[in-house]
Amino acid sequence: MGIEVRGVTKRFGSFVALDDVSLQVASGELVALLGPSGSGKTTLLRIIAGLDHGDAGSVLLAGEDATARSARDRGVGFVFQHYALFRHMTVFENVAFGLRVRPRAMRPSDADITRRVTELLELVQLDYLGARRPTELSGGQRQRVALARALAVEPKVLLLDEPFGALDAKVRLELRQWLRRLHDEIHLTSVFVTHDQEEALELADRVAIMNHGRIEQDGSPDAVMEQPATPFVAAFLGSVNIFHGRLEGGAIRVELAASEIERMNLKAGDTLYVKPRKVAGR
Amino acid sequence: MAGNASRLRTHRPPRRRLTEPAAVRWTLTAIALVFVGLFLVLPLASVFIEAFSRGLGAYRSAITEPDALAALRLTFTAAAFAVPANLVFGVCAGWAIGKFRFRGRGLLITLIDLPFAVSPVISGMVFVLLFGRQGVLGPWMVEHDLRVVFAVPGIILATIFVSFPFVAREIIPIMEATGTEEEEAARVLGAGGLQTFFRVTLPNVKWGVLYGVILANARAMGEFGAVSVVSGHIRGETNTLPLHVEILYNEYNFQAAFAVASLLALLALVTLVIKTIVERRAAITESPGDPVESSEWVSKSAA
Amino acid sequence: MIYHRFRTAAVAFGLALSLGLAPAHGQALLNVSYDPTRELYQDFNAAFIKYWQAKTGKTVAIRQSHGGSGGQGRAVIDGLDADVVTLALAYDVDAVAQSGLIRADWQKRLPENSSPYTSTIVFLVRKDNPKAIKDWGDLVKPGVQIITPNPKTSGGARWNYLAAWGYALKQPGGTEAKARAFVAELFKHVPVLDSGARGSTTTFVQRGLGDVLLAWENEAYLALDEAPGKLEIVVPSLSILAEPPVAVVDRVVDKKGTREIAEAYLQYLYSPEGQEIAARRHYRPRDPKVAAKYASTFAKVNLFTIDELFGGWQKAQKTHFADGGLFDQIYTPGR
Repeated sequence: MGIEVRGVTKRFGSFVALDDVSLQVASGELVALLGPSGSGKTTLLRIIAGLDHGDAGSVLLAGEDATARSARDRGVGFVFQHYALFRHMTVFENVAFGLRVRPRAMRPSDADITRRVTELLELVQLDYLGARRPTELSGGQRQRVALARALAVEPKVLLLDEPFGALDAKVRLELRQWLRRLHDEIHLTSVFVTHDQEEALELADRVAIMNHGRIEQDGSPDAVMEQPATPFVAAFLGSVNIFHGRLEGGAIRVELAASEIERMNLKAGDTLYVKPRKVAGR
Repeated sequence: MAGNASRLRTHRPPRRRLTEPAAVRWTLTAIALVFVGLFLVLPLASVFIEAFSRGLGAYRSAITEPDALAALRLTFTAAAFAVPANLVFGVCAGWAIGKFRFRGRGLLITLIDLPFAVSPVISGMVFVLLFGRQGVLGPWMVEHDLRVVFAVPGIILATIFVSFPFVAREIIPIMEATGTEEEEAARVLGAGGLQTFFRVTLPNVKWGVLYGVILANARAMGEFGAVSVVSGHIRGETNTLPLHVEILYNEYNFQAAFAVASLLALLALVTLVIKTIVERRAAITESPGDPVESSEWVSKSAA
Repeated sequence: MIYHRFRTAAVAFGLALSLGLAPAHGQALLNVSYDPTRELYQDFNAAFIKYWQAKTGKTVAIRQSHGGSGGQGRAVIDGLDADVVTLALAYDVDAVAQSGLIRADWQKRLPENSSPYTSTIVFLVRKDNPKAIKDWGDLVKPGVQIITPNPKTSGGARWNYLAAWGYALKQPGGTEAKARAFVAELFKHVPVLDSGARGSTTTFVQRGLGDVLLAWENEAYLALDEAPGKLEIVVPSLSILAEPPVAVVDRVVDKKGTREIAEAYLQYLYSPEGQEIAARRHYRPRDPKVAAKYASTFAKVNLFTIDELFGGWQKAQKTHFADGGLFDQIYTPGR
């Protein structure tokens, strides 16, 4: 088991951010925490990372109880919503940071650090920007530096907080696909937080839908779409239009369910308009 | 004063052309120039004119006279204590206040501002009340033959007190603006508390720290009121440069008074030049990136 | 660089400790005095150091502190380690005595009420005396502006005030009521009250304000030297005998073991050498021989003492200068 959260509760004053939450993430799995703002998904992610601590419950990483361990010793990679790059360091030094602060005995040699950082920057396709400072990069580039920095310490688990939230739509889509491919390559146990159901459904192996500090439903994208466990899940995912159809000779013939025709009050001769922000397929 | 650091971090807006009529522009410019000339340039110039009124020889002997040299030494000594003390305190307090929310935080901010709020004479008197013979700790100190007021330690204490807020005041806004995400990132990456502080937190505020140090130093060297109260005015021993200027003035030794005053003016000018260089370098090396992102951060964290 | 800075701080700290904490082993005296005596004690200290060296073979360092008389007394009370105080008024020494630092009988321990030199209040006017000021009565003529410091804050100003009061009282048919009216009228001619004697002198000499300055005699001579050919001294028919007192601070000298040298220091003020130095700095010597020698430099003036007209400093202070006292009653700013 990559990550196991057991019965975690967290209160901020009288506000219950997490209410007896349990979650299991298998090794190599990519899980999305999906929910509206204030549902507790970021708090859960921070508790897994050790940046916050639950009032009750425990967190296991790779089968070991990590509840009492500090963020420093948990061996997780964390990508912050706004990247939190060290603004006074170059891109190279940002990525090298996690290696340089290791205790002397465990610290790689300078040559090794240089090699590792270069590899990582190549992995995120930014090897030509090593000498820049974060302020000189675009949002997508910063996101990839943050990812490279998190991967540099060879984490057992990768946690991403709204990884695409601060990017514009086009970059977001590209980066999403890129991240999926990356995950398929390195198979790192990963959890990411998002409020965008498209993002969750498209990217994740499994989706945990959160509301008011609880996990309402936890299952594969198809499972949560097809069989919403609660009215909240149904409503929250309801704004996604799913067209079932067949691919025939380079075109997709879409079939509309009778209930939909009825709902939209369609009559013969009417034209059906679909105005999606985007059409995705899987 | 505290606003300077934040000014130093904001982008300059694109220059727009003035739309006011020429007459208004010229009048305003003229008023500004006259004002600057009358209240800044003229007094400064008169200090130097009077200082050299009896020639270079008299100037040199005025500033190399033993009492003047002793005053210069004492002024540097006081600053040599006050500035590092305030550096350490200011960084600690700025860090605590800028990065954390805790009970008594508002009170601490108010306390830091206290030396700005009270008259320097009162600041000096506080130390007399505390360490004077009739003060709270006085009898104990007399018993142990310790001297604070009317001796060098008192002058150092008073100087620390009046220059107290500068460093903290400069870095609190920067610490608040940068938030805690970078520190969290460092922790997750395996950095310890000290590593995080020295590799991440401190470099982010270094220009603010430097700026605060410059201002604290200027105040430390120029302070008159508080130091005057605790000095005891022992010639060649407990007189700082500003006090020595007053003594010379009262002795009808105007040329010497202005010669020593010109040293203080020079120190101030050097301070200003360093300050300008710091501001410029800070603006170049630390352009804070797109402001949209930081404002976004604020709104997100508030939500 | 950090190491270097640390070393600098360490050196500075050592310096501060040595200056601030090291007790003086009987080799240094601190004389806490008032503003106008700077020049006097500069000369006198040099002479005493030589005298002491010749007499005992020991070197002594004398440290000087000057300021307003009242403030200096206050500093000694608060812990300024004066071996001797040489102040403007017996009142200020009394204040130190009341704190327990000086024995109550201090004024009887040295000759002449513990005042080795005296002074008086004279007038300083502009060259050729354009307003024709000859005596106290001329001060209240229409159009005459008088410069004097504030009696509430300045020792010298109290002497000025009491001198004027005493003059009015000593006129034929003089009464308390007439004296009060005269002093009230006099202060109507004062455009600005500085807080100290030196401040008033600067106002008159440097800023050119006023027609006449009421000043210590020695202060007036000093101003004369500062602005040669521009000022004249006018000596009134009658003035007050100012007796600036000196005293050993018992508590301090006993602790530091400097009693012998501190007493010798004050005794030396009464010696012919000390008296000569005082006379050269325009303080009136007590020693008849020295007085005779310098008779020509001190104008003849009838002097009355504070004890004879006002019953001593404690009483004068209470009657005239305390809050709500006579000065507060007769002086309203802005008139």
